[in-house]
Amino acid sequence: MAEGYVEYSGLKKNFGAVPILHGIDLKIDEGAFVVLVGPSGCGKSTLLRMTAGLESVTDGDIKIAGRLVNRVHASNRGIAMVFQSYALYPHMSVDENLAFSLKMRKTPLERIAEAIKGAAGILKLSPLLDRLPAQLSGGQRQRVAMGRALVREPAVFLFDEPLSNLDAKLRVEMRAEIKALHQRLATTTIYVTHDQIEAMTMADTVVVMHDGRIEQVGDPLAIYDRPENLFVADFLGSPAMNLLDGKVVATDYPDQPRAVEVAPGVLLPIPGGAAAEPGQSVVYGVRPEHVALVGEDAGEPVTMTLVEPAGWETHLHADLAGLSLRILSVERVGAKPGDRAGILIDPERVHLFDRATGRRL
Amino acid sequence: MSTTAVRTGTPPTARERLGDFGWGTVPYLMVIPGLAFVLGVLGYAVAGGFWLSLHETDMFLMKTYVGLQNYIAVFNDPRFQASLVRTIVFVIASIALGIAMSMMFALTLYHVGFGKRFFRGMSLVPYFVSGIAAAVMFRFVFTTSGGFVNYVLQQLGLHTPSWLGDPYLAFMVSVLANCWFMVPFATLILLGGLQTVDKEIYDAATIDGAGPVQTFFKITLPMIKPMMGVSLIWVSYISFSTFDIILALTAGGPQRATEVVSMYMYQLAFLQLDFGQGAVLMVVLLLFNTVLSLFYIYFFVLADKRTEKGN
Repeated sequence: MAEGYVEYSGLKKNFGAVPILHGIDLKIDEGAFVVLVGPSGCGKSTLLRMTAGLESVTDGDIKIAGRLVNRVHASNRGIAMVFQSYALYPHMSVDENLAFSLKMRKTPLERIAEAIKGAAGILKLSPLLDRLPAQLSGGQRQRVAMGRALVREPAVFLFDEPLSNLDAKLRVEMRAEIKALHQRLATTTIYVTHDQIEAMTMADTVVVMHDGRIEQVGDPLAIYDRPENLFVADFLGSPAMNLLDGKVVATDYPDQPRAVEVAPGVLLPIPGGAAAEPGQSVVYGVRPEHVALVGEDAGEPVTMTLVEPAGWETHLHADLAGLSLRILSVERVGAKPGDRAGILIDPERVHLFDRATGRRL
Repeated sequence: MSTTAVRTGTPPTARERLGDFGWGTVPYLMVIPGLAFVLGVLGYAVAGGFWLSLHETDMFLMKTYVGLQNYIAVFNDPRFQASLVRTIVFVIASIALGIAMSMMFALTLYHVGFGKRFFRGMSLVPYFVSGIAAAVMFRFVFTTSGGFVNYVLQQLGLHTPSWLGDPYLAFMVSVLANCWFMVPFATLILLGGLQTVDKEIYDAATIDGAGPVQTFFKITLPMIKPMMGVSLIWVSYISFSTFDIILALTAGGPQRATEVVSMYMYQLAFLQLDFGQGAVLMVVLLLFNTVLSLFYIYFFVLADKRTEKGN
């Protein structure tokens, strides 16, 4: 089996008696942009901090570039980290912040100057070098934090929720900037976020974590299109996937021999190849954008309960025989609460999960 | 018909009734009693002391204006000159020892995990003991025969000096007692400073390869500069004005080895009943404390405020 550039095997972490990570196995290729995503408390930041050497390893191994680093000091692991609070040294100017790690390593002064010049050029920090962090905007501080990581020429970049302190507009800008930086430098990057949009847009590989375990690893769109379990299905996507409890039933239609009954008399179509037997309890998942609105006479009848026009799309909430259903339309739907309509679901876009195990069927 | 249009159903609120007088002035109004009290007591004492320093008081407490005569007499008094030098040495020694101890305790308390609140509470206890009581305790501990320190030294078969009888040792014991009394509060101030430092900054320093010593001098110390300034003000002020501890510990002896300015002031004013010259010493202490405090505020507190601009 090929070695990963960053490799975790059987990695465990306890805080006191509380297990935080239950055995992480993951291989990250050189040059990849990997995003660890999950709700707070899922262990993603702990995993990142263990990679950085800021948390000890309870059990298992971490390898970076083929070297076991479990007991290697943070400063010697060849990593650089960008923190959520930026963690700039407030009493040092921008260039002193950038130079600090190099000074600690007794790098010759001309090399330091060169490195600062290079990083400042890439990150457009040159006019700011004399300023103190307090005199910078949020986005500029973010860039200084990245510059501080850059001058170390690390083997791996670690980002710990770096954009969560920025306002929405700046966040989108910085997102693109970080991605562009990665495309330019091709340095292996591990990026932690709870924001699934960041995960989807930035990653080559998304690692969805939950309760100290990895739920699914893969290409962002592949995970989006084929979530392996209920947690991933529910976590990725905004607005979230509709998940309806139901039972598989046989039907009389020859082209749709099986369907899922989500409410008495309400049958929804399922993909032809789904491994579901009549009588089985399942969770029926369909993304809001895969529910098509049609006229009142066609499809399953629903009643609109809430209409949220967002400009480029419309979020609708509808009542389907007492069940709440989210619908996303890219058109400007003129519906009002109380209006009646019909819905159609493309069976090939449906996700079926076993209700007991939560696994995809 | 014309009146109905204006009436609304609700009576005016307190805020509306205050009108232009406004809520903006309320905080100032609330500060006035405290300010008046402080200025009244302090202002009266300072002004009275200054007035006194320009007068000669005779045995019937009649006062005659003498201009700067008291000042001239005091500054030419070798006993005063010696006490001033002694005070400066005392303050410098107390700052060096006191701040070093406070910083050590603050760092220790910052890192204590188990029993954190207990230890933080305990560390304040010396501050609740009055200076006199602290000095009496130190007397017990350092008494030549039967004192705790000499008992231990004796058991170890070592020389047992006369701690409070030897001028140099007595001076050192006074500095120590003074530190014991003032360190807790300075520790608390520094601990407060340490707690304001974002933990991620220490993480960043770890990754940047700074060891514990470098982290302390290059990260921690510059970041708690304002708090360092405040605790320096406290330590210097307490040491300059120290009186109760020395009175109860050595009463200025032996051979005036611990006669600091405040002790001499007491001597002049209340034992020799020369209120005018005693008041001069009060003015001297006040000036020293003020100048030193301004110095700390300028170099530690204000200098750092500049870095916080825009936050």
